[in-house]
Amino acid sequence: MVTSMDGEQDWEDVKPRKKRQDDIINGNEEEPDFSDPEDFEEDVSDSEFLADVLEKKPKEADGIDAVIVVDNVPVVGEERLGKLKTVITKIFSKFGKIHSDYYPEFEGKTKGYIFIEYEQDKSAKDAVKGADGYKLDKSHAFRVNLFSDFEKYKNVTENWTPPEKQPLKDVGNLYYFLEDEDCNNQFSVIYEGGVKTGIFLNTAAEPSLLEQRERWTETYTRWSPKGAYLATFHAKGIALWGGEKFRQIQRFTHPGVQLIDFSPCEKYLVTFSPMQDPSRGDDFQAITVWEIFTGLKKRSFHADMSGEDRQWPIFKWSYDGQYFARKAKGVLSVYETPSMGLVDKKSIAIDGISEFFWSPADNMLAFWIPENDQIPARVTILAIPSKKEVRVKNLFNVSDIRLNWHKQGKFLCVKVDRYNKAKKANISNFEIFHIMEKQVPVDIVELKEQVIAFAWEPTGNKFCCLHGEAPRISAMFFEIKGGKIEHLGTMEKKQATHIFWSPAGQFVLLVGLNSSSQLEFIDTADMTVMNSGEHHMVSDVEWDPTGRYLVSIVSWWEHKIDNAYWVWSFQGRLMRKYPMEQLCQLLWRPKPKSILSADHIKKIRKNHKSFSKIFEAKDRLLQSRVSKEIIDKRRSLMEEFTNYRKHCNEVYQHTTPYRRELRNGVMTDEVDYQAEDLDEVTVEILIEEEETILNDKE
Amino acid sequence: MRPLMLQGHERAITQIRYNREGDLLFTVAKDATPNVWYTINGERLGTYDGHRGTVWSVDVNWDSTKVLTGAADLSCKLWDCETGKVINTWDTKSSVRSSNFSYCGNMINFTTDRQMKHEPKICIYDIREPSDSEPALSFVIDTKEMSKPMCSLWGALNEYLITGHDDGTMAHWDLKVGGELLHSVREHTALIKDMQLSSDQMMLITASKDKTAKLFDAPSLNLMKTYKTDRPVNSAAISPIRDHVVLGGGQEAMDVTTSNLKEGKFDARFFHLVFEEEFGRVKGHFGPINSLAFHPNGNSYSSGGEDGFVRVHQFDESYFDFQFEC
Repeated sequence: MVTSMDGEQDWEDVKPRKKRQDDIINGNEEEPDFSDPEDFEEDVSDSEFLADVLEKKPKEADGIDAVIVVDNVPVVGEERLGKLKTVITKIFSKFGKIHSDYYPEFEGKTKGYIFIEYEQDKSAKDAVKGADGYKLDKSHAFRVNLFSDFEKYKNVTENWTPPEKQPLKDVGNLYYFLEDEDCNNQFSVIYEGGVKTGIFLNTAAEPSLLEQRERWTETYTRWSPKGAYLATFHAKGIALWGGEKFRQIQRFTHPGVQLIDFSPCEKYLVTFSPMQDPSRGDDFQAITVWEIFTGLKKRSFHADMSGEDRQWPIFKWSYDGQYFARKAKGVLSVYETPSMGLVDKKSIAIDGISEFFWSPADNMLAFWIPENDQIPARVTILAIPSKKEVRVKNLFNVSDIRLNWHKQGKFLCVKVDRYNKAKKANISNFEIFHIMEKQVPVDIVELKEQVIAFAWEPTGNKFCCLHGEAPRISAMFFEIKGGKIEHLGTMEKKQATHIFWSPAGQFVLLVGLNSSSQLEFIDTADMTVMNSGEHHMVSDVEWDPTGRYLVSIVSWWEHKIDNAYWVWSFQGRLMRKYPMEQLCQLLWRPKPKSILSADHIKKIRKNHKSFSKIFEAKDRLLQSRVSKEIIDKRRSLMEEFTNYRKHCNEVYQHTTPYRRELRNGVMTDEVDYQAEDLDEVTVEILIEEEETILNDKE
Repeated sequence: MRPLMLQGHERAITQIRYNREGDLLFTVAKDATPNVWYTINGERLGTYDGHRGTVWSVDVNWDSTKVLTGAADLSCKLWDCETGKVINTWDTKSSVRSSNFSYCGNMINFTTDRQMKHEPKICIYDIREPSDSEPALSFVIDTKEMSKPMCSLWGALNEYLITGHDDGTMAHWDLKVGGELLHSVREHTALIKDMQLSSDQMMLITASKDKTAKLFDAPSLNLMKTYKTDRPVNSAAISPIRDHVVLGGGQEAMDVTTSNLKEGKFDARFFHLVFEEEFGRVKGHFGPINSLAFHPNGNSYSSGGEDGFVRVHQFDESYFDFQFEC
């Protein structure tokens, strides 16, 4: 490849020879002598003469850009070399066509590093990007570099200036909202058709507006799971806001983003955009995982729009954010953080996998496979990363299965729908897996009708389900006590479509969203309906994170009129109604889990009375302050008005004579009748006629 | 509150008015027949037959001898109150939207709509003059400059006319000089459906489709108070004896089916005049309330609705005892 300088001379030699041939052709036998005289000194340099040719001269650097150096290649002997080569070639041809490779050897074994040359420079660059860090096996992770990089690094300047220190972007205390003195919760409201977004604090008398911005988001907002960030959507991507002043903390560019999902630990954000941007070529991928703190893109994935990926979130996070998984046809891919690589570098093949869910308390997931010919349906609980099957259960004659984990991971409820004997209606069963117990025993609860809704109590061991068909819907309550499922009670003839447990447990709301608009508040401690109410056309319901209040919302996105949110106490007492112009969305700001120990909580409960005394005094003070303000305001308004009225009266008195004149002297200012003006007329009206026969006596 | 329900109209009520002494209630509706009732027991005295289209407005003079009605059949009629005979008819080029007697009862005004290329007109006639005489004053409102008037009122002492317009403007017209626009204000953002004066004619309340009612000082048109609701306000009235105002309204007819219809959810709302705070609601109508009026003695009020019913309510003791903390 590399030609020596001597080539020039050869070329020169060719020229005269050719000329001689021409002469022979021309018939010119004589050979003119064109050689330079003996002492002729060239005064024109080669570079001037042959500039164009010199340019084409291959340089040492040419061809190097397509070469990569791979380190940490296993050291093997002759007999394994062939296999090694096959493996390496397979891995690296993914990035482009390999032109040649070179495995330097020393004493019969490979040295541990190799050179690969691609046809194209781009392939080399891709290889560096894609294969660097690739784990061939437990002890060999490739390090890939461009050959040309070595030159670059050799020539690093001696004068090294330390990089400029970037000022610390102090985002402040992201959880400042927990320090609110009165323990009031924040909630975000989008109203005026999406133009205005406001953050309110649920203070005692009226919610106080903390922050309001126009066009803060283009579609809707989401809070992060522990409440630190508010995410807003824009055409170009997502912005995260937080801290006391709601400053912009981070920005993620993902054009056309439509859906997002936070990891439970608030470390990562997954964004999804269905937009296919042809200008960016294959680089653009629909799903991206970002690291929130640094703002870096960690990994992107394609989304199978028509096939498996129709429900968001496509990636499901484990409870501690250590793993995230996604299912594709016949395959469950579990990735681990922070490397973003597949656990054990491969996906788990589960033929026919339908749905899977992580446990909210452990690193295990449950999935089910539908019935297939002779093979019955199956529910499996799998531990990650060991991939050990904690429990498997086969189910027969199944038409549909739904999985529902208990919020503390203690139980898994599997709702199984089967056709009844006549193959007409669906009947449902609940199979409750007791995760905490050895061997994971399963209990079955049979129901005669189809289940419409199901919900676990967030703290505690109760669950509620709605079954039947409208209007004869019943709500059944169960509690799992000491390993046994106890039926607490059934409430008949409810018009509910959804169940919402209070985050604190014990209280539950049954509501008919977008249908009957009935709200019923139930205390499951004694199975009574505490209260019921109606909010016409209610479309959403949100419990506040403490479980004290419930907000029922009529959203403008569902109904164009009567948009308002109503605040109810957890006992079902309607406290306030707040109509808002084109109210779209209301979301409470979530709170991270309490860090109080169970003992501490018990102590607080015991001393409840002393605490409540303090709070009640505080509340009374607040109330009187509020009413004092109102009274003061009213008094000043009244004063103002009375002055105005005095003025009016003066004018009125002044114009009295004119008025009298207009009405021909009749004084008409007073409406009261003057007694003298009244004419009394007595009218007799026959009411009744009665005939009495007197005794006809003489 | 025991309401009297007066069922005399087949179509939606457009306006109701008490006479000065309060013993008669005049009601007009879209069914072309104005009615008059005894307020004491709800008995109907009679009807005034002659109109052939929706009657938009009614007014009665101070001694209850004459009645004036304006209708969509392009006429404004003056009737003898007792006999029901038509005294005079004024023909117009477009429907008559509002009509009023002056304080002295000798002059009347009416405003017309913008229809079929005819611009709205404001006409003032002296009724003592012969029937076919020219108007004492008439002027046209160019809708390119000012939107069409929806309602009008005589100012105190026949000196000026106040009109409320389609876009929320209110205008003062000087009658002494001859129809000169004194000044106009635009406090409302949508059309003004009704305007009523207080009993001493110093204050004026307007009801607008922008879901508020506003209280003005009549001579100067200074905005004093605003009463906010969540429904377009069709009518508002000021109590003659207490610091209360009543507002009535509702959705457009086409939205009615989507809002809550249970048990007549269309209510009249009572606000404190000075504090602008709502303190009471009276339910009962099955459709939006189109017109409200207080009885001149302040002890009762009436409301006429889109459902064609007129409800007469007597206030009970709790209404009079109710006091705002102050």
